[in-house]
Amino acid sequence: MTLAPGALAARAHPFTPLVLTVCIAVTAVALPGTEAAVAVYAATLLLVIVAGAGRAALRALIPLAPLWFFLLLLHGVLGGGETLTVLGATLSRGGLTLAATQAARLGAIATASLALYASFSPARFVDAVAQRGWSFSLAYVVVATLLALPRFRARAASILEAQRSRGLRLRGSPFNRLRAIGPITFPLVLGALAEVDERGFALETRCASAVERRTALAPPPDRALDRVARWVGIAAALAAVMWRLLA
Amino acid sequence: MAVVPVSHLRGPVNARLLALLPAAIAINLVVGGLVNAVGLPLYLDSIGTILATVLAGPVVGMLVGVVGQVLFGLINGYQWIPFGVIQVVIAGLAGLAAAHAGFRSTGRTVVWGLLTGLVAGSLSSVISYVLFKGVTATGTTAVVTVLVKFGWTLPVAVTASSLTLDLMDKAAAFLLVGILVRALPNRMMGRFPRAARAVGR
Repeated sequence: MTLAPGALAARAHPFTPLVLTVCIAVTAVALPGTEAAVAVYAATLLLVIVAGAGRAALRALIPLAPLWFFLLLLHGVLGGGETLTVLGATLSRGGLTLAATQAARLGAIATASLALYASFSPARFVDAVAQRGWSFSLAYVVVATLLALPRFRARAASILEAQRSRGLRLRGSPFNRLRAIGPITFPLVLGALAEVDERGFALETRCASAVERRTALAPPPDRALDRVARWVGIAAALAAVMWRLLA
Repeated sequence: MAVVPVSHLRGPVNARLLALLPAAIAINLVVGGLVNAVGLPLYLDSIGTILATVLAGPVVGMLVGVVGQVLFGLINGYQWIPFGVIQVVIAGLAGLAAAHAGFRSTGRTVVWGLLTGLVAGSLSSVISYVLFKGVTATGTTAVVTVLVKFGWTLPVAVTASSLTLDLMDKAAAFLLVGILVRALPNRMMGRFPRAARAVGR
C-alpha cells in the first residue's frame, strides 16, 4: 500500500502515526454509546483522508466487511429483546445498537492501524529510535520481520507449488489434509532456522549486539505539528478513559 | 555462541538470538496462510512462538508472540491485539513443557498441546465475548452463529467454539514443533541446548 505523493502521513515523524493509532484505539474502546463510537470512526476517517492515507480506509473494508456482516447477523438478526421491522425483516433493536457500536469501534481501529501501516517507513523508524537512544535490538526485530515477510510469503508459495507438483494432495478427508500440513510447513521452518546462523554472523560483524548508543544517519525531523498532534491524541485518549471511569 | 534468554532488550543481545526472533515471528505470520491451502479450521499462528520457546526459552517465546501479534495488528488491524495475551500464555506453557521434556514423544507433545489449547481456548473465549461480542475470525464466528441459531446462548456458543478450535489448533501446533525439533540435526541441536532438554536428549 502506498501513500499519495507528498502526503502528510509520509512526512510525519514515525512516532506520530504510531501514537495516534494507539490513542484512537483507546478512545474508541473507552467512549460509551453508539453515537460516540460513530463519531470516533468519522473523525478517524477524516484524519486519515487529511493525512493522505485515504486508501487505507478503503483497504480496511476488506477485514471489516465479514466482521460487520457477522455483527449484524449475530446481534441484529439472531439477537433477542424488543424488535423492529426494517425492509420487511424483523430485527432486534438492542442487538442492532450493539452491532452498530461494535462495528464503528472496529472500523476506527482497523482504519487507523492500516493507515499507520501505509505510512510506516522501516528506515525512518530505525533512525528515529536510534536518535532517541532506544533499543536498537527491538527496532531491528520489528523492521527485520517486516522486511522478511514478503520473502517468507514468496518462499511459502513456492514450497506449496513444489509439493503439489510432486503429487501432494491438499484435499480429501480431514486426515489427508492434516497429513499435508507437515510437507508444506517443515521446509519453510527448517529453511528459516538454517538461515539463523548466517544472519547471526552478519549481525555480529555489524556490531548489532553492541550496547553503545548508535548515531542516526538521517534522523527524521520532529516538527512542532508532530508534537502537538501526539499530545492532543494522548489528551483525547486520557479524557475518554476518565469519562468512562467517572460517567 | 549458545543462545541465552534475555530479560530485556536494552543490554547486549546475542546476535543469533537477534536473527532467530524475526524468523520465528515471520513463521507465526506466514504459516497460517500456508495452512489455509488445506482448508482445515486451524490457525497455526503460534508455531513460531512455540518453536522459539523450545529453542531459546519462554522469555524469547513471549517476545516472539507479542511482537508478532503487534505486527499482525499493523498489517490486518489492531483490533486483534488483545489476543496477544494468549501468545504469552502459550509461550509460558510451551516453556513448562520444554522444561519437563514434553516434546520427547508424540503422545507427551499432544497432551501438552491439548493442555495449552484448553487454557488458550478459555482465555480466547473471554476476550471474544467481552471485547468482541462473539464476532472474531470468520470461521469461529460462523460456528458461533450456527450454535446461536440452534438456541445456544452467546457466551456458551463462544466458549464451545473457541475451546474446540483451540484444542485442535494447539495440539496440531505442538505436534508439528515436536516433530521438527526431534528431527533437528545434532549440529543445530548443539547450538540450542534447551531444545535438547525439551526432547529428552
